[in-house]
Amino acid sequence: MKRLPLWGLALFLFFSTIFSYGQKKEHYYNVDKEVTVKGTIKEIKMEPLYKNTSPFLIIILKENKTETIFNVEISPVWFFDHDFHQGEYLVVKGSLYTSEENVQNIIAREVQFSGQTLLLRDKHGFPNWRGGKGQMTRKGKRKRDFS
Amino acid sequence: MERRKGANDQEGEKKKGLFVKKKALFLFFFLPLIGIVLLFFVLSTVNRSYIKTKVEDLVKEQLRSTAEILKTNISHYLSENYQADEIFELYSGEENIYYMALLDDEKNILGWKSQFEGYLPLSRKTLIEKESWVIDSPVGKIYNFFSSFTAPDNKTYHIYLGYSLVNLEEMMAYSKRNFIILFSVIAGIGIVFFLGIYRIQAYYMKKEKETEKEKREKERFREISAFTSGIAHEIKNPLNSLSLLLELLQKKSPGELRKDVTQGRTEVQKISRIIDLFSAALKPMNLQKEKFVLKDLIEDIFESLRRKGFSMSVDLQYSEDKEVILHADKGLMSQVFLNLLKNSLEATEKGAVRVHAKDHRKKVTITITDSGKGMSDEEKMHIFEPFSSHKKQGMGVGLYLAKKIIEAHQGRISFDSHIGQGTSFSIQITGG
Repeated sequence: MKRLPLWGLALFLFFSTIFSYGQKKEHYYNVDKEVTVKGTIKEIKMEPLYKNTSPFLIIILKENKTETIFNVEISPVWFFDHDFHQGEYLVVKGSLYTSEENVQNIIAREVQFSGQTLLLRDKHGFPNWRGGKGQMTRKGKRKRDFS
Repeated sequence: MERRKGANDQEGEKKKGLFVKKKALFLFFFLPLIGIVLLFFVLSTVNRSYIKTKVEDLVKEQLRSTAEILKTNISHYLSENYQADEIFELYSGEENIYYMALLDDEKNILGWKSQFEGYLPLSRKTLIEKESWVIDSPVGKIYNFFSSFTAPDNKTYHIYLGYSLVNLEEMMAYSKRNFIILFSVIAGIGIVFFLGIYRIQAYYMKKEKETEKEKREKERFREISAFTSGIAHEIKNPLNSLSLLLELLQKKSPGELRKDVTQGRTEVQKISRIIDLFSAALKPMNLQKEKFVLKDLIEDIFESLRRKGFSMSVDLQYSEDKEVILHADKGLMSQVFLNLLKNSLEATEKGAVRVHAKDHRKKVTITITDSGKGMSDEEKMHIFEPFSSHKKQGMGVGLYLAKKIIEAHQGRISFDSHIGQGTSFSIQITGG
């Protein structure tokens, strides 16, 4: 994964607090629109997506068969310790929505890479990084999965 | 062999009977306990379940009412041309509302708000089925409510809400915890109480059995005593006649026969003494109680033993914390101490035989300790049994009689002995 310099991260966090976020109509985990996409990482970004939360890791994923580009919303960067890198193969399970700019977006629930699985949300889309009864075993995984 | 087998079978049956009784007794106390505990459990569970259902219904009813108020408010804001996102911002302080969404008549989302990033568990499949439902989440149960309303512009809208049921869950958890504590306490007290009653009952049943057995044995002993006393009496008369005859014969017999006749007379006298001891052992105790000073009695016995040459190389010592007065049959008690002291002196080659007496609240304890050879385990097992002497001389009734006399005084006699270290007899008896 391309690492941001420290000053870059600080600047990023500063701007992330002053910008307004406004939740887009379709930008929620829609359980009726779950898809599984397999592809390779084209680009890695960090973006402020929700109000009062730290920046999210966004992976630009190119699907292998159709070469469709997806913006995959992973989680806050502190939630896992894996360094994603360009060209890495991923299997993403999540909720698909198309933005007004006709961009395909996926809110990821589960990410598989190098034989590991990163559980990000439960079956209803509840984010695993938001506490609850489970305890972290390793970043990105919990003892108790509600899905 | 057959007889032994029969006896073993009988004992086995007896034991089995006792076990069955014990089991029945245990069940008699244990089953009511289980019954009470189960009844409490069932009643509490039904009660808790009823209260839980009622509380849930109340909470849901309250949430439904809140939703109705919310619908009215939203309808009002819509009529004033507020956007959905603006309306939801007004409710941002509502901690119990995890998420809410406004949908148009075709159930397309116009706006939504959630306390958790991207979390809006709205599925069209669920909407077809019901108006309200509960889902599990890592932050507890969430009550979902979906309802439609008509705004002043005559358009139909739907509102979708997710309420936190954390407070209800906490209340239920508190109730469950209290139930478990109460149940454990009641079960614990019940177990202790019933086990206590069971043990008391079992103790009294055992005592009753022992008393019954003792009574039967006493009865048997009385019968045997009467029978053997009769035999002893019948033997004693001819023996006396025989002794007199031998005495006459001894006087009139020629010199070469006199020695044999004398020996015969000695043997007859020996048989007579044995019968006297036997009769004494069987005779029921008729206590003639009086008050006397223990020290005087012991000193008299010491003197008597010294005269008989018992205490040549062994020192006889008496000590007491304060003057001890006994209220007992002096003659019989004298026999007890004489027997015990004679035994101690015979077992001790050198050293001392000590008698110590103490009186604590009219309970007198007299200890006779020697520094003799001590007793083997085999000797200890039969020490108070009649005619079981390990000495070369003696009938083996001394300790049997001592025990019988002490028990007739409602006292107790016990001993402690170690090979090579000596023996100590202890008598507990009521003081005067």
